[in-house]
Amino acid sequence: MSTGKRLSGVLADLALILYFVFALFPIAWMVILSLKPADQLFSTYFSFSPTLDGYRTVLGDSEGIPFVRFFVNSLVVSVGAVALSLVVGLPAAYASARWRFRGSENLMFTLLSFRFAPELTVIIPLFVLYQKLGLFDTYVGMVWVLQLVTLPLIVWIMRSYFADLTPELEQAALLDGYTRRQAFFRVALPLVKPGVAAVSLLAFIFAWNNFVFPLILTSNEAQTVTVGALSFLGGDRPKYNLTAAAALVSVVPPLLLALTIQRYLVRGLSFGAVKS
Amino acid sequence: MIRLTGVHKTYGRATALDGLDLDVGEGEFFCLLGPSGAGKTTTLKTVAGLERPDSGTVEIDGEDMSTVEPYDRGVAMCFESYALYPHRSAYDNLASPLRSPRHRLPAAEARARITEVAELLGIGALLDRPVGRLSNGQRQRVALGRVLVRPARAFLLDEPLSHLDAKLRQQMRAELKALGAVRRTTTLYVTHDSVEALALGDRIGVIRDGRIVQTGTREEIWYRPRDTEVARAFGRPRINLLPGVVAAGGVFRSADGSLEVPVGAPVREDTEVLLGVRPRDLGLGGPGHALTGTVYVTEVLGRSVEVTVRLGGQQVSLIVPRGDASGLRADDPVRLTVRPENLLLFEADRPGRPGRRIGKSAR
Amino acid sequence: MGLRLALRPYVLIVPALLLTCGILYPFGLGLYYTLFDFSASKPQPDMVGFENYRTVFTQEAFWNSAWVTVLYAVGAAAVETVLGVAVALLLHRSSVVGRILEKILILPLMIAPVIAAIIWKLMLQPSVGVVNHLLEPVGLGGVQWTDTPTGALLSSIAVDVWVYTPFVAILALAGLRSLPTSPFEAAAVDGAGWWYTFRRLTLPMLWPYVLVAVIFRFMDSLKVFDIIYALTEGGPGDSTVVLQIRAYLEAIRFQRYSFGISYTIVLWAVVYLAAMVLVRHLGKIQRRAAEVTR
Repeated sequence: MSTGKRLSGVLADLALILYFVFALFPIAWMVILSLKPADQLFSTYFSFSPTLDGYRTVLGDSEGIPFVRFFVNSLVVSVGAVALSLVVGLPAAYASARWRFRGSENLMFTLLSFRFAPELTVIIPLFVLYQKLGLFDTYVGMVWVLQLVTLPLIVWIMRSYFADLTPELEQAALLDGYTRRQAFFRVALPLVKPGVAAVSLLAFIFAWNNFVFPLILTSNEAQTVTVGALSFLGGDRPKYNLTAAAALVSVVPPLLLALTIQRYLVRGLSFGAVKS
Repeated sequence: MIRLTGVHKTYGRATALDGLDLDVGEGEFFCLLGPSGAGKTTTLKTVAGLERPDSGTVEIDGEDMSTVEPYDRGVAMCFESYALYPHRSAYDNLASPLRSPRHRLPAAEARARITEVAELLGIGALLDRPVGRLSNGQRQRVALGRVLVRPARAFLLDEPLSHLDAKLRQQMRAELKALGAVRRTTTLYVTHDSVEALALGDRIGVIRDGRIVQTGTREEIWYRPRDTEVARAFGRPRINLLPGVVAAGGVFRSADGSLEVPVGAPVREDTEVLLGVRPRDLGLGGPGHALTGTVYVTEVLGRSVEVTVRLGGQQVSLIVPRGDASGLRADDPVRLTVRPENLLLFEADRPGRPGRRIGKSAR
Repeated sequence: MGLRLALRPYVLIVPALLLTCGILYPFGLGLYYTLFDFSASKPQPDMVGFENYRTVFTQEAFWNSAWVTVLYAVGAAAVETVLGVAVALLLHRSSVVGRILEKILILPLMIAPVIAAIIWKLMLQPSVGVVNHLLEPVGLGGVQWTDTPTGALLSSIAVDVWVYTPFVAILALAGLRSLPTSPFEAAAVDGAGWWYTFRRLTLPMLWPYVLVAVIFRFMDSLKVFDIIYALTEGGPGDSTVVLQIRAYLEAIRFQRYSFGISYTIVLWAVVYLAAMVLVRHLGKIQRRAAEVTR
């Protein structure tokens, strides 16, 4: 029996490894591709003379594509969107976890429905509206529309964190002589800090990875890496090594963050499922 | 001094407090006793201002509290969950009130005060530990300490001993009442344990379904319970309640007709009643009315013995000194006696309405 | 203070409400636009009632897009479910290999779908792509991955599967870890085989967790955009023009705003209906799972 068990164990591990080859090979291949010199792009597969020229070109803006600026843009609009969502969303999440009242239930439901709305329903009108308001291709415009991604996530997740926290801790603080505001900042907030950190990072990743919004609502000034990376594919002679380098540079921040918050991700990823 | 008048509180469709009236005198130690869900915690939180009554008033020291925020009421509360800040040390938890804008003390004075209270409660050595690394009993002392470190108009204690093991609970019960601060300060103490209430309370209030059923000293509650449920709540083993009717001449006749006891109750003939006798008020021989039956079972409880006796179709229990019961075997005939003044007469219970005690003050 | 107290929760949610209205406003505006014939060539539009919707439903292109969308969503969700649950079950054994690999399970999910599509586009390139190079020894080289209608749809689904299988796997694994152990111990004592345990215990109890993931995946893939936009742009021909791509082409490429929005509104209705049906089903499944545990 034990040999049978061992054999099935080995087979299971093999199956796992097979899946992970499928999952990781594309990333590895991008690394390989990004290190190829331009003249060996189409003549070699695995053996070539590696060079960092691809990265130099991408980060040196020499193809007429200001990739570094796109990177900074991504950083600015993603951080801005998360910050705004936190400032606005934390009090709302707290209020709706502590008091059940009609306004908050409606708000929560509306936010949840954003999760399942096709993005273009909102973007096409915004495309028209932004041009009238002068918000087209601006940071402000992007931070606003990214609320569609970050706000529901932050409010729903933080509400569940606050709901898990017994209100008696804050009540004890009130009787200790603190005001409600102090009770929130000194007692409730420190206790959900890990949650705030995890959900902020997850929201940042989703904002960073967003593609439709910058594709339609920016053209150059506020364009982000996701749209920028795609522009390396254009042109008569596609430069695959540059595309690969750009793609890799643009996935570095989310990948690094993801590995740090892994433990907290399940709650974040399944958000909204709590209700049903 | 705490006074609640006609307080109503509902949560959605559930009624927590249903016209509750309560008076706690200055410096008094008042125990609120009731089963879970009776509204005990809601009462405390209403006094503290953590819950707002739907109607009715709360006064502390004669001052109406309806517009006063919890942090301005000057009451200190010990929560059943302890509500300690899990991310801070025991010292920081005790210091919390003394660092707040309302009760701020200079750091040195605060340190002295905290050390004093911690020594008093025997947790002086634990102050640097994070709360998460304390045992239940230690946490409970920290929670109590947070109540005691600062001056308060009233202490509100919500089952502060309920999570402790039996031995520790008995020890803390004795210590609690001895604390100087507790002796001087008006205290509203919530519990579901009648032994605790009898041991601690200057007065006791019995709460049921969001109303106060009866308030009084422990003697009043013990000897003149308002109804069968209050009578059942106090004393272990429970009071014996024998069903029957009042026959001609004010004589109680048990339901199976095997038992007749004169009670002289001012009720109409054929009223259905319950006759109550506490196990400790029944004796084997001695003066008083006599009841004859047979022994069913005996159980030794240290120096005394609980004897269960069949009286016709009923069973009653009594507690007697060990020596009195030494020869008793199952099915032995026995003669029980009870003094007339120890008999309690109640109306029969009806569904959802325990029987009231009938007239004639027993003492 | 009574009034202030009653208002307090509202004060806290007002900013969020305002911001939400800021997002709701363009949605309302879009709904309003669908009643007009608003386009770049007609900036002063006329009210046309439900004409846009009538045109949508009578267009062959719409039905084609709807069909492609459903194929894509069903295909992607089905493969991801089977593969995701399988990976979760394998990881749940927590062998040494499994514990190492679990740490990197999340990676594809954190890569922007559009970047994933770019990566795969480079790999699937027919003449110089690495996939055909690797398949050559097996005698399968030279496959026109994204240049045939079926190939393009299957390639898009493959990218979706690559990105989102970890999502299903992560939720399923969390589900597996939260299952009560006593039924399994009882089954082991009774000498139940692996297959019996899986069919009668694991699957029914795990299914609610998996179904949550499936619902998310199915509804998200109904509104797929990024992957197709980067991989095929809807081609070849109309073979991968899903509804959101069609809406994009109409509204942004051809600048027929009103008409493009009508497409997305119809899509929203479809997603909403699918959600209702699936969530109701989920409720039933959860109840059944509770019975198994008992």
